Order: sequence, then C-alpha cells, then structure tokens
Amino acid sequence: MSLDQSERVTSPAPERPVPQNKRRRRTGLEWTALALTVLVAVVMIAPLLLVVLNAVKSPEDFANHGPLGLPSGIYLDGIRTFWNAVDFPRKLWNSIVISGLVAVFGVLFSVLNAYALGIGRIRGRMWVLVAFLLATIVPQEALLYPLYIMFKHIGLYDTIWSVIVVFIVIHGAFGTYLLASVFGAFPKELLEAAALDGANRRQILWRVVVPVVRPTLAVLAVFFFIWTWNEFLIPLSFLVSADHQTVQVGIATLQGERIMNVTTISASALLGIAPTLLFFLVFQRTLTRGLTAGAIK
Amino acid sequence: MRQRRIIAGSALALTATLLLPACSGGSSDSAGSGGDIDKAPKGAGKTLTIWTYEDKTSAMGIAWDAAMKEFTKETGAKVDFQLKAFEQINKTASQVLNSDAAPDVMEYNKGNATSGLLSSQGLLTDLDPAVKAYGWDSKLAPSIQTTAKYSEDGVMGSGAYYGIPNYGEYVETYYNKDLFKKYDLQVPTTIDEFTQVLAAFKAKGITPLAESAQEYPLGQLLYQLALTQADRQWVTDYQTYTAPADFHDAAWTYAATTLKDWVDKGYISKSVTGQKAQDAGDAFEAGKNPIFFSGSWWYGTFTSEVKFDWGTFLFPGAKMSPGSSGNLWVVPDNSSEKDLAYKFIDITMSPEIQNLMAKSGGIPVAADDSAVTDPKGKELVDNFTTLTKEDGLAFYPDWPAPTFYDDLNASLQDLVNGTKSVDAALSQMQTDYDKGVKEIGG
Amino acid sequence: MIKGQGRAGYWLYLIPGAALLVTIIVVPLGWNVYLSFTKYRGIKPPTWIGLDNWKELFHDGEFWASFQHSIAMVVAMVIVPTVVGLVLASLLFDVVGRRFNGKIAGLLRALFYLPQILPIAIAAILVGWILRPDDGALNDLLSKVGLGSLQHNWLGSPGTALVSIAAVLVWVQIGYPVVVFMSALQRIDPQLYEAAELDGANWYQRFRAITLSGIRPEIFVVVLTCTVAALKVFGPVYALTRGGPGDSTVVPSYYSYSEFFTAQRVGYGATIATALTVVVLVVAIFFVRAQFRLAAQEES
Repeated sequence: MSLDQSERVTSPAPERPVPQNKRRRRTGLEWTALALTVLVAVVMIAPLLLVVLNAVKSPEDFANHGPLGLPSGIYLDGIRTFWNAVDFPRKLWNSIVISGLVAVFGVLFSVLNAYALGIGRIRGRMWVLVAFLLATIVPQEALLYPLYIMFKHIGLYDTIWSVIVVFIVIHGAFGTYLLASVFGAFPKELLEAAALDGANRRQILWRVVVPVVRPTLAVLAVFFFIWTWNEFLIPLSFLVSADHQTVQVGIATLQGERIMNVTTISASALLGIAPTLLFFLVFQRTLTRGLTAGAIK
Repeated sequence: MRQRRIIAGSALALTATLLLPACSGGSSDSAGSGGDIDKAPKGAGKTLTIWTYEDKTSAMGIAWDAAMKEFTKETGAKVDFQLKAFEQINKTASQVLNSDAAPDVMEYNKGNATSGLLSSQGLLTDLDPAVKAYGWDSKLAPSIQTTAKYSEDGVMGSGAYYGIPNYGEYVETYYNKDLFKKYDLQVPTTIDEFTQVLAAFKAKGITPLAESAQEYPLGQLLYQLALTQADRQWVTDYQTYTAPADFHDAAWTYAATTLKDWVDKGYISKSVTGQKAQDAGDAFEAGKNPIFFSGSWWYGTFTSEVKFDWGTFLFPGAKMSPGSSGNLWVVPDNSSEKDLAYKFIDITMSPEIQNLMAKSGGIPVAADDSAVTDPKGKELVDNFTTLTKEDGLAFYPDWPAPTFYDDLNASLQDLVNGTKSVDAALSQMQTDYDKGVKEIGG
Repeated sequence: MIKGQGRAGYWLYLIPGAALLVTIIVVPLGWNVYLSFTKYRGIKPPTWIGLDNWKELFHDGEFWASFQHSIAMVVAMVIVPTVVGLVLASLLFDVVGRRFNGKIAGLLRALFYLPQILPIAIAAILVGWILRPDDGALNDLLSKVGLGSLQHNWLGSPGTALVSIAAVLVWVQIGYPVVVFMSALQRIDPQLYEAAELDGANWYQRFRAITLSGIRPEIFVVVLTCTVAALKVFGPVYALTRGGPGDSTVVPSYYSYSEFFTAQRVGYGATIATALTVVVLVVAIFFVRAQFRLAAQEES
C-alpha cells in the first residue's frame, strides 16, 4: 500500500470525539500490548520512587539504612532549612518566568522561521535550516565567553533576559527544524484553497497552518518549558545574584565541594520537578486531542 | 535578496565591533595603592556583599553568621549575604569577578588553580597592606600562610597575600571504636601495626577500609602513603614546581605498590571504583567498614549521624598528612567596600568567632586552647595543631595541575581494576602531571 | 510554496529569527573559531598563537579515540529510543488509545516521559543508588531472585561502565520520541487505519504502511536531534563516572568542558569545541540533505 501523503493527511477538527472501535472484542495480542506498555511504564518510574522515599528521610535514617530503606518517619526539617536559606520561592518564580517566556516566544520563533522554510520554500532553505541547527550543535560552553562579554557590554549580564534570549534561540532552533519538517509535508490543497479565497501570507499562517499543527506546537511548548527548567550551565553563568537565580542553581548550593546533603537534595529535587510535572500534565490534554475524522476541506 | 544582504551586513558589522579586544580584562591590581587602611570604617548607610558556599549548619556557617551580626553591630553597615553553590563559584569566578556583579568579600578555594589563577590575572586585591594593618600574619602558622600567598605567576608559597584563611582542614583516620573493641584491636601507632589491624579485620571477613576511587578518597590515601616516605622538600617540589616530580621515585612507588597490595589482600574492596566519596562515608556510618581515611569535613556529619562509638587518629607514623588552610576570604579587585571587607575579615579572625568555630566542631586557625571542652572536638583541633607545629600540612595530591584530579582518579581506577600495572599507572600519572604543569606558571 | 504568492515575501518571516540567531550563535561561534587560534585564560586579553592549538588537537589521540565511545552513545540515544519509541508510540496510539482507553494511553505516555523531566544531577544520584556495587538496588535485586552471580561493579569496571551509562541514557531518552511520535500520529486520518483493518491488515502491516510514512518528518527530526545529542552528550557521563574507570567512558565533549572550566584553557577549549561542532555539523548536513532529497522524491 503506498499512500500519497498529501492526499490523505487531514486537518483534525477541534473537539471531535474519538471514534473508539470497541465493537470487536479485544484480542489477546492487544491485551499483551497493554501489559507490555504498562510494564515499561513501571520500569520507567520505579527509580523515581527512590527519590520520593529519600526525600522524607532524616539524615540519620539515611545513614543507618541506606538509600533503599524505607523511611522511619517523615522528616521535613532539611527541606525547610533549604527553602529559607536559598529563598526557594524566589527561585521558583524566576524559573517559572524564564521557562514560560521561552516556551511562548520559542514557539513563536519556530513558527515564523518554519513558515518561511517549510511553506515558503525560500531559496537556499536547506542551508538556512542548517544554520539554525547550529544552535543545537555548538557546545554550550563555547558560547559562554563571547556571550558573557556581549551581555556585559549591553548590560544584560546578571539579568533573566540574557538567559531567556539564549534559550529562545537554542530551543527555538529545534522547534524550527521540527516545524519546518512538518510544514514541508503540509497538504498543498489547504494552502491553495485559502489562497484562492484571497487570503494573504499572514492569514494563511494563522488561520490555516497553525490550527492544523496545534498538537505539534503544544509539544514544542511543553518541551521548551521543561528543557529550559532543567538547564544548568547557562543560568549558572549568567545569573549571578541570588534573586535572579533559577531552581537548578538553587539546588546546586546543596552540593558542597566534598559533602552533599543527600536527603535534602532529594527533597529539593522533588520540589524542583513538581512545577514541570504539573505543566506537563496540564498540557497533556492539549496533546491528546484524540483521533478525529476530519475531512479535507 | 535585499533582506539577506541586510542581515549578512549587520552580522558582519556586529562581529567586527565585538571582536575588538574587550578591554574589560583585569584591571591593574592595587598593589601599589598602599592607601591607608581605615581600621574603624563607618558603615552607616552602606552594604557589604558577602558570598560563601559552606553549609549554614557547619561550624564555619555558624561562626560566620555570628561574625556578620557582630560586623553590623560594630560598623553599622548592612550585610547582603548570599549563599552560593560551590559549582557556580568554581566555574564562573573569573567571569563574575571581572564584572560589576562581583561581591565585596567572598569565600574562595585555595591553591594554584584557583586563587593562584585569579590573583595572577589581577582579579583579587593584594591584601598585604591590610595584613600589615591588622596583624593577621601573627595568627597564621607558617604552613597555613603558604596557601594565602601567591606569586605573580599564581604559584602559592611566596609573594603577596591574596587570601586570608580563618579555618583549617586535614585528613585523618576515622575508626569505629565499637568494632575495634569487639575484635580486641588497639589504635595503631606505626604503619606496621596499621597493616596488622587491617589483616585482623580481613581475617574476620570484614573489609577494613571504606574507600572511593571515583572521587578524592583513594587519591588522598595514596598521597598519605607516599608522604610517609618523603620529606618537606619533596612536598614543596611537587606542589610548587621547584624541582620536577618523579612518579617512579621511592615514595610514589611505595605508595602505589602498597595500595595495590592492599587491594589484592582485600583490605580495599575492588568495587571502590564504582563508589563516590559519599558512598564511602555512608559505608562507614552504616558500620560496614570500620576505618575511613578522609577529611575533617566529615566530622560534623559523623557527630550528628553516627550511632556507634567512634574516634580519630592521625595516620600512624606519619609526620605529614594531606591538609591545608581552609578556604580563603578574598577581596575582589572590583569590590567597592574594601575597608569594610577587611573589617569583616578581622572579625572572623577575632578570638570570639574563632572560639565559636571551635566549639561548633570546626578547626579554627587562631583559637584559644581552652575554647573547646568537648573531647572529640578537642582531639580534632589538637591533631591539626600537631600537624601545623611540625609543618606537616602537605596539601592535596591533585593540586599541582588543574585536571590532575580526574587524571589521578583514572589511573587509580585502572590500578584497582588491574587494567594497569603499578608501573604503568605511575607512568600515566607522570604524563598527566607533566602535561598539566606545563600550562601553569607561564 | 503557494501558487500566486512570490517567494520573496517569505524572507520577512525569517528576519527576527535570523537576527537572534546571528547574535546569539553565529557571532559567538565565529569568536570561538578566533579564540581557537589564541592562548586565553578568560580574563586578560587573548594572545595570538596561530595553529598551535590545532596542532595539539590533531596529536591528541585520546580526543579522537573518545569518539569510539560516542558510538555507544549513538546506539543508546538514537537507535534504541527511536525504534522502541516508534513501537511504543504506535502501540499506545493505535492499540491502547483506540481499543482501550485514550486516558490510559495519555497516562502511560506521561509516565514514559517522566525520566526526561528529571535533572541529570538528581538522576545521577539516583543511578548511583541503583548501581552501587555493594548494596545497590540492582545487585540487591539480582541476589534476591537468585541471579547473584550476575552482580557487577557496574559503573566501576571497564567492561560494564559504558554499557551501564548507555542503559541509563536509554531510560532517560525514550520518553522524547514517544511524545513526539504520538503527537505526530494525530495528523494521520484514523479512517486509514479502519480501512486497512477491514482489508485484513494486521498491526505490523498497518504500522509500516500508514504510520511510518505518515510521520516521516518527525522520524527524521528525532533521529537527527538524538544523534546530535548523542555526539554532544556530557552531563550523564560527568555525573556518573567522570570518564572513568580509567578512560573507558570519556566522550569528546568531556574534553571541551574540562579544558574550558577545569583547566581554564579557553583557547584550547575553543579549539575542541570548534572541532566537535564541525564533526557534528557534517553529520547533520548529511541527514538534512537526505531528508530533503526524500521529500523531493515524494513530491515528484
């Protein structure tokens, strides 16, 4: 069966329910498939349960029973001290602002670039794409000194904007590549129909293209948020003052040169993951728009 | 395409302007500015920015907290204290200190690769005038002063003061008193007795030494063994490059051979190549390995977490042990409140704060002998004093070359795993050391 | 391109992106190339030394040998996650989502993605607890189920260290392709699957004919980005073994990092970074070229 992509790919209409085919009884193979995926999921999260276990242990508890022992009680002092010592709420806020802005503007960055590359098919688009890919290829440490000098010159050093701009580009480059590839396979009929209706480039972008790729945009936003949240090297380098720092830099204060505070690190790690987890779960719903049977307009 | 050319053109212009050497390089250091130090600076309306990265519950953290309160009382200046991550300071110190975001005084690591490097690049204030004004040098033992002074090339031991240490650290042997008593063993006083203790534990099926070859502990043990066969000059040559180091000399050969021997006999488990320092400490705390050769920085942790009876002793028969001054107070050249910074440093060196540090389980450099009453704490400080009196602080094996920490660990891992023979491992260390030293001292 | 619209107008859409790209990436990259010809320690201005750094790099056998370890990384971060990710995504979407419950599929996908949310520093501590030789969870589990002879010093012996890191990377990476592929699958008309099923095609036949061709752009993207990440991988290696035991897990970017930060030899670090960029860039160009060629073939 060879399928011509551009004829069959549809535009999912919003809010159409999933036509679930439950008429046939589920076969044994299908139950096996379910079991397999559940098993994999269990293997995926089992190690994370270790983090949860150790987050509520007291240091003595950890010392005497090791990381695998069950906690003998809930101990929250370590995390309380840490929370105050590094002004964790402030760091949480910084991380949320930075990651959120990168998510929003990174997606915008990707959409605009990909439109020109994937749909506009400008000349030399392969090389422009490769140029954007440079942002994901160049090792981050190579960027640090030049950017440091640049940011110092224009006064952005030690501000969150330095970090935001850098990640809009680095993550946006991935988004550009993904979206350009997806746009490249965009059904031409939709575009031509809209052009015949008299729509200009801008309208085609926002009224035809974007709605079709909304699931992909949602994926990008989630990725950008999480990736930026977990970034360490660049925030470490450009965010100097304590009230500009992010969660990851804050957690790093628990790791001394030789001694580290393991139970508090576990607890702070959970605190650090919680927002990203929430974000992911909330956006899950946009990712799962469900199967729709749309028609080609 | 016009747009393309515009973009390309502005890119070129931008590149051109930015490639011009950024003149924000290190300003000439203020060695010549022998301006008068105000020993009673008026701080009203001013703020002193202080950065440290020691745990707030450690002895240093407690003492410095008190010092900050005392400082505000005496000068009227406010303190903006920021707790930093060691990793951040370590990685970005040269960038931060070279900018407006630099603090007024901060804790920083000692050694050629850290304070030495920054001072040679002009980022730290020459503290000689302040030292003269406040008389700190009379409080610091000669071996402690070594890590406070740096030459123009950034090599420690000579030159001007660039940092002021106010605490010390060293490596000693922690032992599980309960297990020793159970098997009727005494604290060894010579290396032979030490080996006998190891053999006794092994005979009962217990691996005696808690170790880690993924991080610093095994390297420090190797170094200690070498130190038992070496003298002060050997250390000076190794650490300050006054003569080439030979990894095939008697000291290193003895150390590596002994270590290999201990691994073969089972005194050190082969699985230490998969353990981090934290794992080794955990093993000692859990009572699995009765002997742990590591630093005074574990002291506080053990005091609060260990359930069994434990004690410490200096490595038997050794006149020198790994150890040095603690981290230094440095005053960035870009600091805007230097007099206040000096005042703060002086307060941390005052008897009250030093005694507080001793009482909290730390190792001050200038406390009264009578300050500590707790026997364990007293032992901790006394052992340190023994070492400094004999000029027995030998620093650390990874100091001479910046990447030597990883290199040394890699060679030791190969030694323990049997991938390299003693000779091959030593040769590898020689190669890595030589390569690293070439980069230092211009 | 849409009929009736000239291509030129699309350049306008590139302006903001290109401006940022040039400022943040291209200029620093050029600067970096310049620094590779200098001796620079980050503070005092750099001194020109011509090709010395490059000569040193060419003779640095260990650097080039470390690319061998990259192969293991590529297997662990590209081949396994892409293949397994495809299968899992397809199973979740086609089987679990359609025949059981869409919500369960969504939940399972979230669980698969969890390891990607974990910062590497925490993951490293976690992995340490599992792979610790003496009382780690894995060895503990092995002895409990009677497989005690399989116990190993996972991260500490040269034979198993690389494989252990690779296994950890697979665990971390799998969520990424699964999420990307599942969102891609939503573009495909479900009626295609229905029709194929009625025609008698089994899951595997449906997979090959519909799924694979339908999400080809995403497959390319995942493979290329994972390959780039594999060639550049640094965090997990640094956190788990620091290149050890011995040299058995050193990867190219480890050099770059240690020269930039540990040794503060910014000039030489810039050389390594440039060389690494070039190598990865060449790989990327091959990929993108193949991708464009395939897309062009399909259109004609």
